[in-house]
This record gives sequence, C-alpha cells and structure tokens, in this order.
Amino acid sequence: MRSRFPPLDWPLAFSTLSLIGIGLATVYSATSVPGAHEGMWVKQLVWFGVAAAVAWIVAAVHYRFYDSVSWPLYALSLLMLVAVFAIGAERMGAKRWIEFGSFQFQPSEIAKLATAFVLARFFDHARLDLKKIRWWLPPLLIAVVPFLLVAKEPDLGTASSFPAMLIAMYFWAGMPAGQLLLGLSPIFNVALFFLTGSVWWFVGLFVGLLAYARPRIVVLVAMLALNGAVAVALPNLWNHLHDYQKRRIETFLNPEHDPSGSGYQVIQSKIAIGSGGLVGKGYLKGSQKALAFLPMRHTDFIYSVVGEELGLLGSLTVVLLYGIVVFRGYRLASIARDGFASLMAVGITTALFFHILVNMLMTIGWAPVTGVPLPFLSYGGTALIVNCIQIGLLQNVALRRREY
Amino acid sequence: MPQGPPQRDRDTRFGVLAGLGLAGFGLIVLGLVRLQVFQHDALLRLADQNRIRLDVIRAPRGVIFDRAGRVLADNQPSFSIVFRPAPIESTLRARTLVRSDWLARVCGVLVVDSQEVKRKVQEANRTGQTAVLRRSAPFAVMAAVEESRSLLPGIDVQVAPIRRYPEGTLAAQLLGYAGEINDHELAERLEKGYHLGDLIGKTGLERRYEEVLRGEDGAEFVVVNAMGKRVTTLEEGPPRLPVSGRDLIVTLDLDVQRSLEEAMEHVERGAAVALDPRDGSVLGMVSKPVFDPNEFSQGISFARWKQLNSGGAFPLLNRAIQSAYPPGSTFKVVTMLAGLRQGLVHDGSHEPTGCTGGYYFGGRRFGCWKKEGHGNLDLVSALQHSCDVFFYQLGLRMGLEPLEQTARGLGLGEKTGIDLPGETRGLVPSSAYYDQHFHTGRWPRGVLLNLGIGQGELLVTPLQLATMTSILANGGRAVRPHVVSAIQGVPGFKVGKPVESGVETPVQNWDLMHLAMRRVVEAGTAGAVRIPGLDVAGKTGTAQNPHGNDHALFVCYAPASAPTIAMAIVAENSGHGGSISAPIAAHVLKKLFLRDSTSTAPLSPPAVAAADTVGD
Repeated sequence: MRSRFPPLDWPLAFSTLSLIGIGLATVYSATSVPGAHEGMWVKQLVWFGVAAAVAWIVAAVHYRFYDSVSWPLYALSLLMLVAVFAIGAERMGAKRWIEFGSFQFQPSEIAKLATAFVLARFFDHARLDLKKIRWWLPPLLIAVVPFLLVAKEPDLGTASSFPAMLIAMYFWAGMPAGQLLLGLSPIFNVALFFLTGSVWWFVGLFVGLLAYARPRIVVLVAMLALNGAVAVALPNLWNHLHDYQKRRIETFLNPEHDPSGSGYQVIQSKIAIGSGGLVGKGYLKGSQKALAFLPMRHTDFIYSVVGEELGLLGSLTVVLLYGIVVFRGYRLASIARDGFASLMAVGITTALFFHILVNMLMTIGWAPVTGVPLPFLSYGGTALIVNCIQIGLLQNVALRRREY
Repeated sequence: MPQGPPQRDRDTRFGVLAGLGLAGFGLIVLGLVRLQVFQHDALLRLADQNRIRLDVIRAPRGVIFDRAGRVLADNQPSFSIVFRPAPIESTLRARTLVRSDWLARVCGVLVVDSQEVKRKVQEANRTGQTAVLRRSAPFAVMAAVEESRSLLPGIDVQVAPIRRYPEGTLAAQLLGYAGEINDHELAERLEKGYHLGDLIGKTGLERRYEEVLRGEDGAEFVVVNAMGKRVTTLEEGPPRLPVSGRDLIVTLDLDVQRSLEEAMEHVERGAAVALDPRDGSVLGMVSKPVFDPNEFSQGISFARWKQLNSGGAFPLLNRAIQSAYPPGSTFKVVTMLAGLRQGLVHDGSHEPTGCTGGYYFGGRRFGCWKKEGHGNLDLVSALQHSCDVFFYQLGLRMGLEPLEQTARGLGLGEKTGIDLPGETRGLVPSSAYYDQHFHTGRWPRGVLLNLGIGQGELLVTPLQLATMTSILANGGRAVRPHVVSAIQGVPGFKVGKPVESGVETPVQNWDLMHLAMRRVVEAGTAGAVRIPGLDVAGKTGTAQNPHGNDHALFVCYAPASAPTIAMAIVAENSGHGGSISAPIAAHVLKKLFLRDSTSTAPLSPPAVAAADTVGD
C-alpha cells in the first residue's frame, strides 16, 4: 500500500516545527532589548536550517545502521566525555563544551543518543530475562558511566536524563513494574527522608510496595538490607555533615532559600511569568525592565518570556505542543514492530520529556536551577541540532513502522 | 528476528508512560495557573515597580568590654561606596565600563586608585558580588556620588558598620584589628559564608575570636529604580535579619592597662604584662611600639601598610607573646628554686667559692656584673644582690636536668596557651637540644654556668615571665593566662584546658623564695620599687644582647603576703633592669595600691603591712 506522502508522523512534525517557530519568535523578542544580543534570532534561524538538514539525513538512514554502530558510537562518546575534562572549555564553573575553532558542542548530548542506541540494542535480545542479574545489571552499568561523567562536569540536569532514560527502557523492555519500583526504592528512601525528615513515610511505602511486588525471598532480603542500611546511615551521615555542607544540600533542594544565588533568578522568572496573566502583555511588549533583569532570558529561562508576553494562553499552547511530541514519541514506540526501533523511541522520547520537565519546573520555581535549556525554544545551535536529530530518529521509526 | 514485547502488554505499558507524561505536564499547568491566575496581581505589581535587587544587611561584630564593662571595641555606622555588578550581560557591560571613561569618572569622584578599582570591578563582575570601592567615605565624597549618580551606573552608597576602637592605641596588639577580607582568606573561607568586602579579624582577639565576634549577615530584596537607587523593600520576600556577633568580656582592667601604658611611654621597644596570679587573667598587656587599629577599620592604604611593616619596629607584633628574650638574672629565681628542690642549697648556705668579681672554670673566666666582687654571700643575699658567681656554681653543681625541670614547671619553654594567636614558645634547652648542637654527650659543662644566671640559649616571652612570677606568687600552683572571661550567650565559657605544669616543694622553700624576692626590692637591686606601705617581691634582670644594648627586665608580684598582681616588664636595648624596668612596675603599683590618682582600681584592697617595710 503506497500513498503519495511518505508515512511521516505528521502531528509530531507539525508540533516540532511550531515549537521551533515559537522559539525563533521568542528569541527575537528576548534579545530585542537594545544593547545586547541583537540579531540572535537570525543566527538561530541559520542553525535551524542546519538542524533540519541533519534531521532529514538521520531520518533517511535506516535505523539498523544506528543499531550496528551503537557500541563504537557509545565508546567514542565516553572518550569525549573524558576528554572534556582535559581539553574542555570552562564556562561559569563547569566544563561541558569541546571547541573546534568557532564550533563547539557538548559531548554529553552525543552520549545521550549513543546510550539510547546501546540500551535499545541490549534490551532487544531474544533471550532477555530481566529477572536474572546478568540481564538487568549490564544496562545499569551502561547508563551509570556516562551519568557519572556528566555529573562530574558538573551538569546535573543533563546527567539525570540518563537514569530517566534507563528506567523508562527497563520498563518498556518488560521489567515488571513491582520489581522496577522495588529496585528504585533506595532513591525513594533518600528522597522521602529529605522531604519529610522521618524514615516512617518510607517504611509505609516500602511495605505497600512489597505487598504489591511480592518479590522472591532473595530479592526481599537484599532490598530489606539495602534500605535498612540507607535508613540507618542517612540520618547519621546528615548529622555528621558540617553546617555549610548541610546548607549546600538544602540550597540544592530549595534554591529560593539562597537569595544571593539562583534564588534571585527564580524570583525574577516567577515575576515575569506571573505578571503575564491570562493573555500576556503582548508579543514584544514584555516589560523591558523586568525582562532586562531576567537572567538568561533567551536560553535557560526563555519559557519565562513566553509566559510574560503570551500569558497563560501562550504558555499552555507550548505545553500542549510538547505534550503532542511526547505522546507521539511513546505512541510510535508502541506501534513500531521492530524491537530496537521501539526501545530507541522510548529512550529518546523520555530524554526529551525529562529535559522539558526539568526546565519548565525550574522556571516556575518548582525544581532546582540546573542549567538545562528548553528543547526547541532556547537559543543554542548544538541543542537545536541534537533535538532535531532526536525528532529525526522518531520519524525514522515512523517511516519504517510496518517493517520487521 | 528478535521480538519486542507482546502487543497487549505494550498497550498497557504505553498507557503507563502516557499517564506519566500527563502527570508531568499537569504539574506544569498547575504551576502556571498558580502564578498566572492566582498570584497574577501581586507579581504584576512587582514587575511594574521596575526591578528587584538583593541587598546584604551587614551584621555588626560583637563588642569587646573590659572587666568593668568599659568598651574596648565596638561598631560605628559608615558609608561605603560600592559597585554592584549588573545581574545580566555583566561581562559585556564590564568591558564597556572599564573601557569607557566610566573608570576615570569613578576614580575622580571617589578619589581612589584606578588600578584598584579596575581589579575590584572585574572581580565583582566575575563573582556577581558587590565590591566595596571606598570604605567609610567622608561626607564630601558621598555628596559627589549622589550628585552624579546618573553618570556612574553601578555605583551605590551602602551603610555598613565598621570597627571602632574608642581607646585608640590602647592594648592595640591584644585587641588586634578587623579589616576587609583579602583574596587568600576569602578562598579559604568561602564555604563558611564569607563574601567579598566582609570584615574579618586579622590579629589579636579579633582574630582568635573571629567565629564568636562575627555576626551573620542578613539579606533583603529591595526594589530599585532604573538608576539603581533603592525605592522600597519587597513585601513578598521578607528580609532575613542580620544577627550581630557575640560580645566578649575580657579580663583586662582598663586602669591597670592605662597605668602600664603611661609607665611604658618612654620605652621605644618592649613589652609588659600584668596578670592576676590567682586565676591567670590578664590585667594589662602592652607592646611597644603601638599602632592605631582604627586606621585599619577605615581601610588602610598600601603605602601606609608598607610603612608600618618596614623599619624594623613592627608595631603590629605583639611582643608580649610573640617576641622571646633571654631572661637574664630574672632566671636566678629558677636556679634558686631548683637548688632548693634538689637540697643543694638551704637558708644560710654558701657556695664553695666567694665572689671576687669573677669565677674560673675550664680555663675561662666568667665575670660577675659587680667587678669588685660581692664577697662570700649566703643564698638569700646572693639573690638579693644578684651575684653571678654564686649562681654559676649552683648551676654547675646542679646539672641540666633539675634546672630544665623547674623551668618547665614554671611554664617556660612551652606556650602558655593564652587565647591569643601567634604565641611563641621560647626555648628552655634540654640535653637533647645540646646533643643536637654539639655532639651527643660532648657538650661543654660551661653552658651550665651561663644557664644558672639566665644567659645562654634560654629564651622567654614577657608573658611567660609573668606566668612564672604568678606561679612563684602562688607557691607553685600554676594558672593558665587568659584574656577572655565571658562570651555573651555562652554560659560556662572557659578558656583552654586546666594547666598541668606547676612546681611542688615544701612550704619552707617557698617562704625562703618569697623572703629572697622581697629582699631584692627592700635592700637589693630593685630599690626603685620600694614603696612605703606596700610589700613587693621581685627580681631584676639585665640580658646581654649580641645585637645591641642590654635588655632591661623586671618581674614582681604584690602584695607579697597575698599577691593580686604579677608583672613582667621587658624594655629592649635600654640598659639595667633595676634602673629602667623596675621604675615602670613601681609606677603601676603606686597607681593601683596607693590611690595617688583618680583610678578606681577594682582589685582587692591594698594589703598594707607597715611592719614589713623596713629600710635598708
């Protein structure tokens, strides 16, 4: 059955293009303040041309190719992550970039793609049995290595997309939900301790989890021991920390309590969004002074500009467009007949979703300021290209969704 | 071909992922509605009122009081001219600022060095922190800034407390000073919450008790206009109020300190310490030459700083604890006490050879300060007249170890543990020390003769001498010298651990020591301290100094029957202890005990024992 149009995923393509369009318009508005960064939107437009071409090629090459080069690509990306410590360019206290003349890129972006390929390849195995340690342990190692390297840069925002991807792909590969949640329980344990200051919340949750998952006795004992150790060690560890160390952790969890640092940006961002109201102040009419005091308004905090100028209407539209991207991504995963393609789609969609979430939660003050740009909207060439590659890969799956 | 998950299971799992997506985006919608609907009015108002800035509210340091509650160091408001980096495009703006004539304008208005301003502005732009360009600016400068504010973007006036030392140079080295934190200190303490432009204790008490004296700065969000001038505070973000530092109450007695400084007025270099022997509290501590810590509060110029540190006078040095001197004849009390403890001497005992103005040992002549000789003196008279020949022989007979032990028991050769930074330990040589400098076991016995009269390798600080005198006054009980007696808000504060040194010997030996030291004052080398109506025990010392004139030393305690003050005085390169240093002690004692001034001595009432004050 052949139609006149290639079987692209049209809703996905439409929302992506709309988001990029909104991004260009917002970069134009954000940098229209006299004095700095004028004309950035033109640069971004050029970047978009490059990104679209790259995405086209990525979509045209059969995904089997990515499957076959996944390990070499993964090895190369790890090499670059190590190299970034030696030859990386330092900006604002973090080494994230490698520069070739005037061109520069973040190895962590390539590592993200390569890790998705390798994980998809690994999980797409006929004898995969996630109840056995030799099957569930290797993916954990595959994701942990780039996670640690990126976290060390430090770039905690990008780094945490690795575990997010891993968890989603475990789940997609067929790991029972109970087992997965049980495996994640030490993380809940730490998180609940910091949120509530008591171990009892977690104890309740853990008992419920055990009743739901009904693990084998070996797993039960291991998880009990692990969580017990965490529960005993954590408060002791906490009490032995110096005051300034505690403060640093608390600032990480709640940046608004550090008014001299990122709390300042968050307050400015909230003022910009909140003052937009229902319909916003109008495109290009964002209060110049408020804007000028909004740091990184064309990059990490671009969503605040959308909120200020286009109001709830505009910001909800953007959320809706992102919702379509994420929904279509997962949908493609579920209709793709090939295992590798399906798993890759889940990994890539999750990484995108995670970045969107972390950035938006940051601009409304509900997540720590970690320096993650907003996909498709934020100014920045590398990020735009990588995000378009991700969409290209999803379209790749769409084009061949009926193949085995 | 490998198989993916079965389709039915896939649908369920797709449902879960889509549900998570919905939940995530739902959370964002919730946050948007909260900000853009419910908090819209409040946030819009803020956006309209131009802009918001974070200001630090400086916390004042703790106040330092003397034992009677008189202020030694407090704070006064001052106006600093600061540079506030713009929160955005700061690097871009910094470039234009430093390139343009902005720099020239700023330096012109503030009357400051342009290199310094350039460095500070760049640093501020890098760190985003406010930089202090001129501390405690005079009114004229402030007025000039206010007039030309529109030409000086980024420049602002800030109210900040600075340190004030109302008594000026009084006890300057003991109090120390607080100044602006330097790059090195900042790098070390970044994690403790220090910022550019903070005050930090640099020397003395200010440094030792930095953690106590330092308050916790507050912060507030303020709304500023386009020129960077503050309009109002932000209601939505309540300020964090500053917490001032804790106050210190020191053992210093302003009256003792003042009279000690008066008495030391003509001493060019030297130090004096007065302790309360009963508990070791420091009543007074003087180091000459002096400096004025207020100079540092207002921001000292580099030229002035260089001037203070050159010329060899080193006014910042606290000679009372940081300089070590040979003790000279004041050490004879140690030799005598060690001899008594060993049973080598007793009341009325003589040494084998009388004094003929010198003593021959190992083919070398060791002279006595009195060239015509003292004759054959007994123990008490030997100390009274400070006969070198007597103590040469006693040192020789005794050997090194008993002498070293008693010296250490009296607190020499070790840090006293006083709560001031930079104390030096001095030197009491041990046999290991000589083994190292000569060959093991091959060092000449001649060193013992020199040690017996306090010459040779011995080095002591004035504070150690005062501590030694306190232990003598106490009949062997050691106390730890200390400056701070209480910290506001810290009940039961105590400096350091209890001391372990001290000297044990039968009471008749102590009686003999007291008698001999009283004779020194009544009819010996320290006649200058003979005060009718007051019973003083002391010992003079004149330390030979290879680099110049002799150092004049004197130690004493009074009243001898129930001592309430113990003093040590060292005047560098000025001659004899009896003629130079003893009169200094006499001046202080007269002021304190004879009330010949308007002083309000809080010490115990003078214990006047008229019967004891016999003439020669």
